[in-house]
Amino acid sequence: MTTLLESDSESINNSKKTVSPRKSALDSDCQGVHSRIRFSLRSHMLLMFILLSSLSMALVIGSVIAINHIQKNLNFFEISQEYLFHIAQARRWEKNYFLYGINLEDSVQSANNAKNILSDNLKKITIILLPEKTATIVQHLDKYRELLQELMVLEENKIKNTEKKHEIETSLRKHGAEMVNVAAALVDAEQHSMNAELKIMQRIPVYSLAAVLLVTTFLVCFFVKRLIKPLRLLVESTQNIAKGDFSPIPPMCKYRSEFTTVELAINHMIQELQLREVAMIESHKLRAVGTLTAGVAHELNNPLNNIMLTAHTIFEDHNDLSEDELLEMINDLINEADRSRKIIRNLLDFAREGESVSEPIDLGVLVNDTIKLAQNQIKVSGAKIETQIQTHLPQIRGDKQQLKQVFLNLILNALDAVKKDGTIKISLEQADTPGFLAVQVEDNGSGIPAYILSNIFDPFFTTKGPGQGTGLGLSVAHGIVTIHGGQISIETEEGEYSRFTVILPSLNVPAEFKKT
Amino acid sequence: MKEKLELLLLDDETIVGKRLGPALEKVGYDVEVYEDPVEALNRIHEKEFDIVVTDIMMAEVNGIQVLEEVRKKSDTTKVIIVTGYATVALAREAMDKGAFDMIAKPFKPSELRSVIAKAAHSLGYKQL
Repeated sequence: MTTLLESDSESINNSKKTVSPRKSALDSDCQGVHSRIRFSLRSHMLLMFILLSSLSMALVIGSVIAINHIQKNLNFFEISQEYLFHIAQARRWEKNYFLYGINLEDSVQSANNAKNILSDNLKKITIILLPEKTATIVQHLDKYRELLQELMVLEENKIKNTEKKHEIETSLRKHGAEMVNVAAALVDAEQHSMNAELKIMQRIPVYSLAAVLLVTTFLVCFFVKRLIKPLRLLVESTQNIAKGDFSPIPPMCKYRSEFTTVELAINHMIQELQLREVAMIESHKLRAVGTLTAGVAHELNNPLNNIMLTAHTIFEDHNDLSEDELLEMINDLINEADRSRKIIRNLLDFAREGESVSEPIDLGVLVNDTIKLAQNQIKVSGAKIETQIQTHLPQIRGDKQQLKQVFLNLILNALDAVKKDGTIKISLEQADTPGFLAVQVEDNGSGIPAYILSNIFDPFFTTKGPGQGTGLGLSVAHGIVTIHGGQISIETEEGEYSRFTVILPSLNVPAEFKKT
Repeated sequence: MKEKLELLLLDDETIVGKRLGPALEKVGYDVEVYEDPVEALNRIHEKEFDIVVTDIMMAEVNGIQVLEEVRKKSDTTKVIIVTGYATVALAREAMDKGAFDMIAKPFKPSELRSVIAKAAHSLGYKQL
């Protein structure tokens, strides 16, 4: 927390020293932005569109291919059924032949038909069944046809070789049975593979639904991350700006997108606000100088009066004066002239326009200087000042003029609050927060009503009459304390007291470390 | 009527008393010089002066309070207010409360002397 505040104030102080380094800082910021990879919202949309459409395309293509495949299988199934039908037919004719001696030619015809179907679809069968199995089918069919052919030859030549016929019949039965078995297996296998494919087809919609859900969830998460996160950062940043934190906002996203434009615009705005804040602090300081001038004039009139009285005494009585008396008077003249010089210098130190300089400051000395600056306002008001300045405290780092302005505003406000014979307590000590010093300005004046308490740090908020106060004093004080990495707070009770506490980070780290 | 005009001079600036005290004694006044307003008030309660010259801006007690105290004590005492920062409001307040005159810092000893002379004249001292 502490280090964060310190580094924060450090960076601001550094950037406030001159305007030009800040400008270049923004330029480098711009360059940093341009070196980021461009990934715009439009690209995000396009990416999402492409992803979703390729997903649906893949689904459609997949379905078409699957349906096509099933159709082919269906075709093949029909063919194998036809084949089975023809060989079964051939066997029936064959049986008829052996039982009644008819239909042998029909059997040959059916076997030939089966052969035609087989040779037409040999390639497909080879793919689906193993080549050896296909070869077995072909072999059995060929053997069967061969045997039928032999029977035909016997029949045509009217040879009544019962032995031979019987031999052929046995062989024919054997090959025929094999052939039918294999064909039935083929049909069976085909049916199985088709069933399996249909099952897969049933599952495809379920799987694709899951895939679509998954991809959509991912895309939604991705978009929330890319869109909502920068927006949330943006809201946080604007709230910080409202609190007076003028440090550039952190990059809203890793890539260069439409948000980068917003980010650059906001950083530009912050810069402008910071410049305005500086201008406001400066102009308010000049108003404070105006307030002080009346008091300083009075303060200055005292030494001037002493000089005039002493000079006139010397002028009138120089003949009667002893050397010691004369020396004493001259000494008075010198001292009073010196006193005048100090009064003027103190005001000029405060009023001097110029670059804001960040330097190590002894806060106790600064608070005492500020009290001196307001000395006459204090005398005029008749209020009593009680100071409790702890010594041997660590230094702080900041702009002397600006910090004097803060305490001056608090003291002048306290003087306004107490009117006559009030008491203003000014103290400096270690703050409760480690690494911070606390300055308190407490008056026993009218206090601040609770209903305006939340407004007192707002610019242009004033309880004084028209032309009496600008309403900028506390707002400016708040701004200055914030850029010094500190905080300003108030405790008050109406009619009892108001206590303003300013805490500022102290330089308790080695100076070399702070410089880096 | 006393022989010497009795005068109290109050200013928290040491040099004012150191220079004006002798300068006024020189012209024949009986001058008591005070730096501390509280001591001066005590003295005013003890003794009735002819003229009181008081600075207005002092810690603890201011010149207007001194004027009020003097008025309580005596109607004849003339009070001359010395101020480093003269405003119309302050002059009016002082005059309303019965000050004889006001003089702004820085002033020459002769200027104060002439104001005192006027006050003395109004009290009936002629020769000065």
